[in-house]
Amino acid sequence: MSGVDPNARINLSKANVLLVDGSQHSLDMLVQIMKGFGAAEVHRAQGVIETERLLKSKSFDLIVIDPNLADGDGYALVRELRHSTNGSPNAFIPVILVSGHARASDVAKARDTGANYFVAKPITPNVLLQRIMFVSRDKRPFVEVGAYVGPDRRFKFEGPPVGSDGRRNNDLKSPLGTADEPNMSQNEIDMMIKPQRVML
Amino acid sequence: MSVVVRKFEPDAKLKKMLDQPGGVTAEQALSRAKQGLESIRENCLGATDEKIASLQALSSVNETGRGEKMYRLSNEVFAEAGAFGLSELSAVAHSLCTLLAAHEGSQPPRAAVAVHVEAMRALRRPELAGDKAARMAVLQGLRGVVQKFSAPGP
Repeated sequence: MSGVDPNARINLSKANVLLVDGSQHSLDMLVQIMKGFGAAEVHRAQGVIETERLLKSKSFDLIVIDPNLADGDGYALVRELRHSTNGSPNAFIPVILVSGHARASDVAKARDTGANYFVAKPITPNVLLQRIMFVSRDKRPFVEVGAYVGPDRRFKFEGPPVGSDGRRNNDLKSPLGTADEPNMSQNEIDMMIKPQRVML
Repeated sequence: MSVVVRKFEPDAKLKKMLDQPGGVTAEQALSRAKQGLESIRENCLGATDEKIASLQALSSVNETGRGEKMYRLSNEVFAEAGAFGLSELSAVAHSLCTLLAAHEGSQPPRAAVAVHVEAMRALRRPELAGDKAARMAVLQGLRGVVQKFSAPGP
């Protein structure tokens, strides 16, 4: 059960969750997982139109969506949800995108939707629980910049979730271990921050 | 040129909810989720077999949108077989998705598609269910064929 403390408690007994997937069977699997996690209400949708109808009529606490829907673009659906700031109760709720094989063009679309996290299929209960816990504790602020509305896409302060290797080559792996060089002196640090003009 | 950035912090309703007293431990939650998945295993794998049959039917017809339909079906097989631990079948389906995505908007090479579908069918044969080495051999054989198809022409 790497990445999740087996004794950590989660309480979804009041949570209203919306699950969206174009495949009936993938949806059945997500429903079983979320019910296992104890979600109070699980709503399901297989297409964009059905999802939009549910988003207009109900207030949710979490959306898990595979954006590859047969009747429209699920990426655009999430993007529009983030822009629906005129009193929509669902505009800023946590959204986890789940996707199977992704075309190169889908990766850029996924990044710009404003979803909180991206999970690659095949889905396992372990990974989904980790991501739900990560998303719920995510301290990144939301930003509105240009056409983008959603969580700050930079993991500068929070780092990748525990148990994940991160997405960048330079993501630090924990534990960091001991330093292999002596610490810099305060003088050296000062010189780096405030370089002095040198007369030659 | 300056860009206006608005930062704000939405209400952390989900976090408050998760942290409420009561609920279940992560171990209990995972155990119940796995039991739930197991309860629909046969039904889902039956559907996977139907999807493979549909892929086979589509692989031999000339139909508009055939590539997109096959991509969608193969993507479902990838996700659903993988979730139930059929990793070799999932890998073959992923390979077919990659092939179809590379030929998006054009006709995918019929022979390469057929090899993938045959590999999927072989992996679902009951005699291979308990034979990891045979399943790996099917996967290895497919990888060789894919390399041949993706090699640059003379």
